[in-house]
Amino acid sequence: MVVDDTKKMEVEKILEKISASGRRVALPDEALDIVKMSGIDVPGHVLVKTPGEAVEVSKGIGFPLVMKIASSDAIHKSEAGGVVSGIRGVQEVEEGFNKIMGNLKRKMPDAQISGILLQKQIPEATHLIVGGLHDEQFGPAVMFGMGGVLVELLKDVSFRIAPVTEAEALEMIREIKAYPALSGYRGSKMVDIKQIVKTIIIISELISNISIIDEVELNPLLVYENKVMAVDARVILR
Amino acid sequence: MHLDKFFNPQTVAIIGATEDPGNITSVIITNLIEMGFAGKLIPVNPHHDEVFGFKCYSSLPDIKEQIDLTVISIPAEHVPEVLRQQATCGIKNAIVLSGGFAESGHKGETLEEEVTKICREKGIRLIGPNCIGVFDNYSNFSTSFLPWTKVKRPEKGNLGILSQSGSYVISMLDMLFLEGIGVSKVVSYGNRVDVGESELIEYLTDDESTRVIGIYMESVDDGRRFIKAASNFTKSKHIVALKAGRQDSGIEAVKSHTGAIAGKYEIYKAAFKKSGIVEVNGLTEFMDACKVLSMQKPAKGNKVLVLTNGGGFGVSVSDVCSDTGLDVASTPESIREALSKRFPEYFILKNPIDITGSSGDEDYGIVMKSALVDNDSFDAAIIIPLMPPPTMTEGVVDIISQMSRESGKPVVICMVSGVYTGEIKKKFEEKGLPVFPTPERCVKAMSVLVERGRMNGS
Repeated sequence: MVVDDTKKMEVEKILEKISASGRRVALPDEALDIVKMSGIDVPGHVLVKTPGEAVEVSKGIGFPLVMKIASSDAIHKSEAGGVVSGIRGVQEVEEGFNKIMGNLKRKMPDAQISGILLQKQIPEATHLIVGGLHDEQFGPAVMFGMGGVLVELLKDVSFRIAPVTEAEALEMIREIKAYPALSGYRGSKMVDIKQIVKTIIIISELISNISIIDEVELNPLLVYENKVMAVDARVILR
Repeated sequence: MHLDKFFNPQTVAIIGATEDPGNITSVIITNLIEMGFAGKLIPVNPHHDEVFGFKCYSSLPDIKEQIDLTVISIPAEHVPEVLRQQATCGIKNAIVLSGGFAESGHKGETLEEEVTKICREKGIRLIGPNCIGVFDNYSNFSTSFLPWTKVKRPEKGNLGILSQSGSYVISMLDMLFLEGIGVSKVVSYGNRVDVGESELIEYLTDDESTRVIGIYMESVDDGRRFIKAASNFTKSKHIVALKAGRQDSGIEAVKSHTGAIAGKYEIYKAAFKKSGIVEVNGLTEFMDACKVLSMQKPAKGNKVLVLTNGGGFGVSVSDVCSDTGLDVASTPESIREALSKRFPEYFILKNPIDITGSSGDEDYGIVMKSALVDNDSFDAAIIIPLMPPPTMTEGVVDIISQMSRESGKPVVICMVSGVYTGEIKKKFEEKGLPVFPTPERCVKAMSVLVERGRMNGS
């Protein structure tokens, strides 16, 4: 078991809170907290409600940073105009806040908005996706693949029925077409396969062991030479 | 075992039995007589005293002896009534061939629900409805209502077939006969209100006559039970699956990308992998995979020796191997050296090994002994004997089969279909060496053995 019992209880506490508020979709900060508690690294983040609060908090997080809409109605945040990245100073923080709120008002006027998430911007790297879901026949299953916005178009992914073993997680990684790009193709840097394996297993455990979770997804999961980091997470309850 | 009575019943009541050649009970009984079924047949029909020489009873309660199984092919609306009656007579098993249930609309759905309810409440085990039922090649029992004059029965063998589709199993029987592939048990379970593939796989795990299951699947009866049963079966035996209805749209919850990409078929594929099941595309691959697994054992690795006396076929097979992920690894130096002492200079000894049109039977033996029997550099071999040269005789069959046996490694033969080669093919297959007519099919079959080896190894 990669996720220990104390952590599992903390995860369940967040899930109970979401469920008690009558929602099925975790907010971006809640989803990131859940995956962080489960042992997956995420960049530092804080949820703010006002432009003033955003400016204050941004100094603590440091620049550059990314701002993302937090709304259970906007699951696909960039499509809703809810993401501004590359923010380098407090003035841009204030502008970013207003821009996102303006976009949301225009594109999704009925969306319930919980605030805006400020997140440390981390260096670019290969985008992966790791997800878990429930199939009505076969139960929990996990997916791994190349992530980013083109994931549904390229579908370079592999599936397994959960829970998966380390060997299965490794097979999932080796199965995708882009695997050579992860393993040092033409001088590209070999990424941290071990951490990807660990991440797949954590997602497999979340979807298998915590029955209230219906879908969970890290997209993108950025992978470096010696670590992985989930920049965005989605958690959907039953 | 609990399902035994479906395959090896001592007393079978045929409901609605008649000699009318247009009625399917007549074909079922004729088929059973032709097969030499040794159990007792008891026709049930109020309109007859005798059917095909068997005493006919007007209803189930009139029969004094214990009935193991009823075979029901009467119109759907009368099926619940018969099931209730058999329950009061203490008859535990039924095969319902009749259509007109859930596959045929609302009225049929209601009837099917009623049948399911009777089974649950009265403890009746049921195969069907809307199916062909069973065929057991060892007990000589079958409920097929297609006459053996039109569909040939394969020989006894170790292949079991499970299918939701009746037309599929009947076509398979005919094809397996022609291919000379032996069959153990076949079950078509149609609408599957009770007995389904998961329980049948559990049952066949302990069936000594079945070593390979070929399963035609449109849907699964119970996903988790299926994975458990299949994983257990494939520890020592093999399952080949053909999944039909792949365009079935995705999983309902489509909130994440994962949910959007995960079609039902992707999850089926994952379930097959989890269970050690070989998944195939289409009928030809299905037949070939069943055939190769019923005749050969899995390969320990993917290094394949390709041996031929016809260069072009060697090259084509190698091409397909590399497309398929099989490694046509170079012949080790030591083997080449040993062989070069025995062969003319123009024999090509690097893999594929081409011993050219001037070679004969014995040369196959020399190469196989040195590269496959005395050496473990290769995990398996594809042999492509071209028979037309005068130096090649049917004696090559014995040589190749003996070397295969001695090597303990899987061997498959690639040989195009011809009149003379057709006879040679038969001889190879009598020796347990499967023959495939094209490089593509032959390599695909070999890749099934390699895939199974990898699954068992991991």
